[in-house]
Amino acid sequence: MIRHLKILEYALSSLVRRKFKNLSIIVVYTLTISVLASILFLTHSLKLEASNILLEAPDVIVQKISAGRHDLIPAEYITKIRDIPGVGTAKPRYWGYYYDALTHSNYTLLGSDSNLTGLSLLKGSMPSDSGQCAIGKGVSDVRLTGIGREMILVDSKNTGVVFTIVGVFSSESSLLTNDLVILEKEDLIKFFGLKAGSATDIAVKVHNENEVQTVAGKIKQLLPDTRPITKSEIIRTYDTVFNWRSGMMLTIFSSALIAFCILAWDKATGISAEEKQEIGILKAIGWDTGDILVLKFWEGIVVSLTSFLLGIIAAFIHVFFLGATILAPVIKGWSVLFPDFRFVPYIDLYQIFVMGFLTIAPYIASTVIPSWKASVTDPENVMRG
Amino acid sequence: MAEGKLLIHIEDVTKIYNPGKPDEIRALSGASLNIGGGEVIVLKGPSGSGKTTMLSLIGCMSRPTSGKIVVEGRDVAKLPEHFLTNIRRKTFGFIFQQFNLIRNVSVIENVLLPLYPLKTGLSEMRERGEKVLGDLGIREKWHLKVNRLSGGEQQRVAIARALINEPDVIIADEPTAHLDRQLSLDLLKILEDLNREGKTVVIATHDPIVYDHPFVKRIVEMRDGRIQGVTVK
Repeated sequence: MIRHLKILEYALSSLVRRKFKNLSIIVVYTLTISVLASILFLTHSLKLEASNILLEAPDVIVQKISAGRHDLIPAEYITKIRDIPGVGTAKPRYWGYYYDALTHSNYTLLGSDSNLTGLSLLKGSMPSDSGQCAIGKGVSDVRLTGIGREMILVDSKNTGVVFTIVGVFSSESSLLTNDLVILEKEDLIKFFGLKAGSATDIAVKVHNENEVQTVAGKIKQLLPDTRPITKSEIIRTYDTVFNWRSGMMLTIFSSALIAFCILAWDKATGISAEEKQEIGILKAIGWDTGDILVLKFWEGIVVSLTSFLLGIIAAFIHVFFLGATILAPVIKGWSVLFPDFRFVPYIDLYQIFVMGFLTIAPYIASTVIPSWKASVTDPENVMRG
Repeated sequence: MAEGKLLIHIEDVTKIYNPGKPDEIRALSGASLNIGGGEVIVLKGPSGSGKTTMLSLIGCMSRPTSGKIVVEGRDVAKLPEHFLTNIRRKTFGFIFQQFNLIRNVSVIENVLLPLYPLKTGLSEMRERGEKVLGDLGIREKWHLKVNRLSGGEQQRVAIARALINEPDVIIADEPTAHLDRQLSLDLLKILEDLNREGKTVVIATHDPIVYDHPFVKRIVEMRDGRIQGVTVK
């Protein structure tokens, strides 16, 4: 143990002596790790946020399809669906998208009795009267507004409608509520000009989760002009989209990773004449090959671990404190018109471990192997200057 | 080490570099020599005569192509590297022609370097370092980077490093090559004192200040990789 501590002390002093070389490696290494970790953190966080939303989501969402497009669904479908054996509840949902030209953002407008689950108010209350609304944190931030103030939205007749903000949402999942504007159901129907006796879609809960697919099949059979979407299909879609996006990003950045590997290899393996001389001196004065390898191992681990930790910290700050300003537009894609939201910090230790293993181990190897080559030669050369 | 007891036995040793290649060099041919404990022996000869090769073989820094080298009763020519290192560590202290100090490292760190891979505790290391630096009169320079020292001071740091493991044999390769006359005499005084303490001293040189010095007891003449003769003073 004491031997390792002493050699580590000497390794640190060696690194300080070659500070410019080692600093340049640390900078490039840190940048590479931070980019890779940012992609992984971001993707993981988005996937988990999506999963959180879907935990409380209905088992089946039934949409009416007209000419291949989503259309309003007749309210009488609800009764037909309720009568299918195995169906627990079937409730209409009223919602729609709203583009706010003022802030160039998209909001999701939702009728207040549309299966609101998993939502908690940061402050205020839910709308209980006509002309009231509750808004997500993102909407509040982008409109620079809050409780007690008014918000004007332009309805389907191009008329400005004034709503009083009575609540601002918080939620475990900011993805769920960030762009949300909750209105009274009647206000929403009027705002979008929805036909009476129709809803945006129907949320279905099934008693037995193993029968969700069967129920979805029965709905399709009974109501051929509908599209029942199961929760598992939505989860799969989220996963596919985020995996595809992160995969694309990782592909692009793999070139950066390769460039880093080449640089690291070149820097680490390019043992200078001075370093070779030092290895020779150490051997001549009583260090053996194993001692030299321990020295180089510590040098490698100090550089790689420092860079790795700095990279992870930088990625964490970038994604979870700065909202992934650099990568989010690519990973989120559609959310360019979305009010900005903070990602909830989720870290997958397995991912960190894999990333650490794939970057630290090769770097240490690229440091130790060339030194091993230099250290197995006779120290006699040092006698000859 | 008991004076006069056979310490190193070299028998018909040949050293060939790059054997079988176009740049093959026969550095040493059929050399035989015995070195006793407490002896001061000088390997004398012009450049290319095989002095440094002989020193590196004596000091277990390389292996002979053929022949036998016995150090403290063990044939080192056939020992694995780990054992050679152990012998080098415990038996020999090296003083190099170019000093071979690690630049930009402090005096004390350079001196303590041989102890880093050993189990010696940090406080004992420091004690030994301070003592050996004190003995050589450079204790107050312990914190300075070695490249800020004069040539004579650097030479003393190199000697301190050679002594830190308390070796039985001091091996010095052209130790006066970069020193003026006075510094050379100072160095020889140090080596003489070490010899008086019982250490064996083996020096390779072609400097008359060294081989004419009264403390040198035996001179081995070398030329073209062969031992030409031995003079006992």
